[in-house]
Formats: sequence, C-alpha cells, structure tokens
Amino acid sequence: MLHGFLDLCLLALLRERPDYGYGLAQRLATAGVADVPGGTLYPALLRLEQQGLASPSWGPSESGPRRKYYAITDIGRAELDAQVAGWQRFRDGVDLLVAAGVAR
Amino acid sequence: MSGWTGRFEAELVRLGVQPGRARQLTDETAQQAAECSAEPDHLFGPAHLYARHLLSELKTPSLPLEQTTGPVRLRLAGVGKRYRRRTVFDHVDLTVRSGEVAAIVGANGCGKSTLLRICAGLTRPSHGTVQRVRRVGFVPQDAGTAGWLTADEHFTLFGAAAGMAPRRARSTGEHLASRLAWRPGGEQLTQHLSGGTRQKLNLVLGELHSPDLLLLDEPYQGFDQGTYLDFWQQVRAWRDAGRAIVVVTHLLHDLQHVDQVFDLGARA
Repeated sequence: MLHGFLDLCLLALLRERPDYGYGLAQRLATAGVADVPGGTLYPALLRLEQQGLASPSWGPSESGPRRKYYAITDIGRAELDAQVAGWQRFRDGVDLLVAAGVAR
Repeated sequence: MSGWTGRFEAELVRLGVQPGRARQLTDETAQQAAECSAEPDHLFGPAHLYARHLLSELKTPSLPLEQTTGPVRLRLAGVGKRYRRRTVFDHVDLTVRSGEVAAIVGANGCGKSTLLRICAGLTRPSHGTVQRVRRVGFVPQDAGTAGWLTADEHFTLFGAAAGMAPRRARSTGEHLASRLAWRPGGEQLTQHLSGGTRQKLNLVLGELHSPDLLLLDEPYQGFDQGTYLDFWQQVRAWRDAGRAIVVVTHLLHDLQHVDQVFDLGARA
C-alpha cells in the first residue's frame, strides 16, 4: 500500500532538508508512516535521482563510510506539488467511501 | 568485492544492463549497505532477486495516482500444461497491459512456445484461466506462410480473414513491410524468399489487422543485424501505440527492450 506513496513522502522529507538514505528511513519511521526496508527505500531514491527529482551529493559522516545526500530539485518540487494534489483527491475519495456506510 | 556484489553485478549484466551502469549500480548498492552498517544480503536479500527488483523499480513511474499503465490485454492465472503425466509448467500468472512488452525466457524445452500458444488460444491449458482481448496477432516460430503464394496474395488472404478489403490489405501489408526495410516483389513466390524475408512476411501478417495484443515466437530468426534492430524499433513503435506485446526469446540481451521478464525455466 505504501509503495505508491513512498516517492511522495520522500520528496516531502527532502523539501524540508537534504538527507541520506538511512536518515530518511528513520524520519519515515518516526513520523509513524512506515518502517521502510532498504530494498524498498534505495530503489526509490535511485529512481528519484534518475528522474531528476532529487540531486545527489556525497557528504562525510562522523563515523563510518561517506554518505550520499539527496536534495530536492526544482522539477522535484513541481512533481511533489502535483503528487500532493493527487494524494488529496485520493484521500478525499477514500474518506467519502468510508463515511458513506456509517450509520447516522 | 564480496560474493554478493559480484553476483548482483553479474545478474544486472545478464538482464541487459550496460556493464558500466551495472558497475555503478553495484557500487551504489554496496555503499548503501555500508551506510546502514549492514551486510548486503541482510539488507536487500538474495543478489539476483534484488537485481531484478531494482530494475523493475527503476522503471516504475513515480505518479501512482495517475493511470500510467493501460488496460489489461492478457491475463493468465494459475495456468499449467501437462502432457499425459509430464508437467511442462505450472502456476503461471502473467498480466500484460496495453503499452507493455513482456518477454518469456527460459531454456529450450521448458515450454515457452507452448505457453505462447496458450496465450493465443491455440492450445488449451490443463488448468488455470486465460483472458485476452479479441484482436490478437500471432507470429509462430515455424512460419505460417504458404510457399506457392506471393507476399501480396498472403496480404489479401490474411486480410480477408480479418474482414479487410483486398486493396486495403495489400497497401497495409506493403506499408508494414517497408518499416522492416522490405519491399515485397510482385510475382515472387514465398518459397523463393530467404528465411529472414519469410520471417518479415510472417511478422507483417501477424500485424496486418492491427491487433491489440501481439504474440511473437522468436520472431527474428534469419534476420541480419540491421533488420534485428529495425525489429526492436518496430516493437517500440507498437508499444508507444498502446499495443501489448509478448515475445518469446532466448537472447538475453533482448531484455533491455522489454518491460517485464517472465522466466519460465527458473521456476521448474
């Protein structure tokens, strides 16, 4: 279920601030959205990069290997706006369906 | 490079990724595992499965709420084939949509052609269900052409079967042939054509009635390199025009042209 909305969540997180994969996974978990496994998260990040929605840069880390940080691009912002609009339509539709059967 | 990254890179290459790009994806993946302080197999699972997963993920468009894939043209559910007591294959689930190219791969004898004939409705499955659109083009491996007819006569005959007027069938056939860099000669009998040209005729006949679903069984036998490239360009044109295409192939480097791979041999 999350699958379709992962890109939307990632772009929203990146609009807030650039981040690397593991950091994004933690922020998603903290937000209560989902525990996203690496096998789902990293392909999504690569796809965002490939589509020009996020741009990568390498940054150091205090401990351990260097990290690949992603920042949202202008196209990424436009894509996020479009996806947010789609998401809101979808959410309103589901809300309507769910409410329809409830006894008044 | 540990065993996992080596297997991952090899599988990417086997699936048709250019070697440079495969190396780059492998490095990135190793980096990601390091970033999480995890072993790659722990984070991503078996190397060959993650390679396939990654490629299909990279092709998935990012707008899930828009309709990015077309309607279903072919759906197999739980399809199996048995000859007497021998099970050829079992539990095949395959969905192909408008604007999608699927490849059926696998070793000789694993039933690729049988599966394609089941898709076409020419062979009955032992179990499972097959749903398909009405207009289907089928290009068999052993050419379904008649040696004593000319190309134009084939166009007329096959066109008539699809309810096309003779003149329209001929002009359509000639137009489609030209896209494969072939100009059918007036009186030449099919038995005098080269194997590659006969195969072009076969392809044109499969496409003549503009089917919504095209089923091709190793359709490039006898093609030279240039025609082979023309063929894949033609597949892209079909896909862009919203057709669904299923290709049986044993050439793994073909797989860079397709949207989904169904490995019949890996399941046996």
